[in-house]
Amino acid sequence: MIRHHPSAGTLLAHAAGTLAPGHALVLAAHLQSCAHCRAEQARLEATGGVLLDDLAPEPLAAGAFAAVLARLDEPATPPPAPPRQADLHLPPALRLPSALRGASIGRWLWIGPGVRYSTVRLPWAPEENVMLLRVAGGRRVLRHSHGGVELTQVLWGGFYDHTGHYGPGDIGETDESVEHQPVAGPEGCLCLAALAGGLRLPWLPRLLGG
Amino acid sequence: MIHNVVNGVYSHVNVLDPTLSRPARARPHVLPVTALDAPSPDAAALAVLIGHVANLRDRTAYAALFKYFAPRVKAYLRRAGLEGAEAEEVTQDVMLALWRKAEHFNPARAAAATWVFAIARNARIDHARRRRGASLPAMPELEEPDHSPSAETQTLTAEREAQLRAALRALSPEQQQIVQLSFFSETPHTAIASTLNLPLGTVKSRIRLGLARLRAALEGEP
Repeated sequence: MIRHHPSAGTLLAHAAGTLAPGHALVLAAHLQSCAHCRAEQARLEATGGVLLDDLAPEPLAAGAFAAVLARLDEPATPPPAPPRQADLHLPPALRLPSALRGASIGRWLWIGPGVRYSTVRLPWAPEENVMLLRVAGGRRVLRHSHGGVELTQVLWGGFYDHTGHYGPGDIGETDESVEHQPVAGPEGCLCLAALAGGLRLPWLPRLLGG
Repeated sequence: MIHNVVNGVYSHVNVLDPTLSRPARARPHVLPVTALDAPSPDAAALAVLIGHVANLRDRTAYAALFKYFAPRVKAYLRRAGLEGAEAEEVTQDVMLALWRKAEHFNPARAAAATWVFAIARNARIDHARRRRGASLPAMPELEEPDHSPSAETQTLTAEREAQLRAALRALSPEQQQIVQLSFFSETPHTAIASTLNLPLGTVKSRIRLGLARLRAALEGEP
């Protein structure tokens, strides 16, 4: 039972094609697990279809059709070679969402007690900040806020913060106005997260003597 | 009841050619010979044309699809901020993708225009990516899980398009404009705010309201 869905604005941006590539990846993972949002996405795309249908046509240059006809028999570009994906020793019941298939996945790196992350790099958008995050049972993620919207899809286990409990298939969406400190449930948590504008750690200036 | 006389014998159906006694709507679709001069096809005819491209690699059907969709795709890309030559080039890419992907079109899942919209939108994303760095590879396409469509969902696809169109027409001109801008402009919220000279918060709430009205119309609520 999925309780946490993306905001209407995020679904709209995804349907319109204006969502940042990292966020689009996390949303694609959510859509694979959530029939409710798939139906909403289909409605939005149908709206896009009606809007496209209703647009005043703009004539193409003379010869455009002939140019395309001449390309019909060209072979399609072969798909890129599969990217490197580290063996993350995932729980046996867990399969990573196929939305991650084209992404390279790094090995686990320690960032705090019970908290590890793995960099997810999108070959088509290498500047995006996407990661897998694994938090041991009962452990906290550092208190942080965001420079922009953060999308976090729970793949396994769960976490909770002041906005509620998030289980498998749930997606958390927070923006720059939210400072939160998620805590993993007793079984631990594995999430896929996309960040915009990076993390803001309020304690960092203090740590650095600021 | 239809009675036919076959070889002097009354029968309820024509046993020699059963199609003769079917109602008119069941006639096999006949492709226009001069597709480029044919009147605009409706949604059902467009879906049939895509089927012909998928199954028969039919270039006459493809010509009719090109005539209908290419100028609309170009209009969409121009609104998304592409210059004339870019819009022309990306439109050709979209139309080529339509030829190559026709076999993936599932009329039970989406109307023809919805399917073309998704292809054009992905081409627009791809174009933005190439602008950032020409050497970057393309975003991989996800194959969607193929839930085999029931008769009910097939009806829903056609009905949904008609309902959506009616619901869009029923919105106020301001809301129609906002819904259109949220699908077409590059940076939806801020662009709308500056185009309409409205505060960002107002734009966001109007988008929410417009979408809620559309959803309510689709779900048959008042």
